[in-house]
Amino acid sequence: MGVSIDSAFSHANWAAKDCGGVSFPLLADFHPKGAMADSFGLFLAEAGITDRATVIIDKEGIVRYSVAVGPPGAREIGDLAAECEKINTGGGSMPKGEGVPAGTQLFVKSSCGPSRKALLAVDNLKLRDSIAVHNVSEDAAAKAKLVEAGGKDQAPCLVINGEAMFEAPEIAAKLADLVAPV
Amino acid sequence: MTQVGQPAPDFELGDQFDRKIKLSSFKGKCNVMLLFYPLDWTPT
Repeated sequence: MGVSIDSAFSHANWAAKDCGGVSFPLLADFHPKGAMADSFGLFLAEAGITDRATVIIDKEGIVRYSVAVGPPGAREIGDLAAECEKINTGGGSMPKGEGVPAGTQLFVKSSCGPSRKALLAVDNLKLRDSIAVHNVSEDAAAKAKLVEAGGKDQAPCLVINGEAMFEAPEIAAKLADLVAPV
Repeated sequence: MTQVGQPAPDFELGDQFDRKIKLSSFKGKCNVMLLFYPLDWTPT
């Protein structure tokens, strides 16, 4: 999992736009700023940012590896791989997602923050090919479909297994739990 | 700096999908790797 002092919305934008989509959790240590990093001794209070560091915690909750390389530094990927080899003794992987059911549709509006949030979740989970996305601001037929499927002209709207969801955080969490559960 | 061999401090934070992620929920299930980085929009 990634951790920085940025907000969840910044994470979602950055991951989708700059990183080609990130489905593993990026944690927002945003408020109070850096509190979680500070509890690990990895918050650089003067600069107001998190150190560049890697911490590996085993299944029992014990820290097995903790190395900071400084903000301009680079992680030792070879060391991390070796450490993972040592710790990965039998079982205990992340759960596998069941995937998005066929026929799932997402209705969005232009210039709409919550719609943008729902779309960022689609991009971070790489679901553009699995979900039919309709923009009701640009497509009158889509608007009619939205009213038919969702019961009202309100977007964003995720129609999944015949049920309509209208809240962007719920839509994002629902999609993430189907594709990349934790 | 967190000491190797010591229990990790628990936390609960939101992720980019607005889910609440709690470290202790992974206990007994899987290992966790935390990648701390200075800021979004910089190299991880």
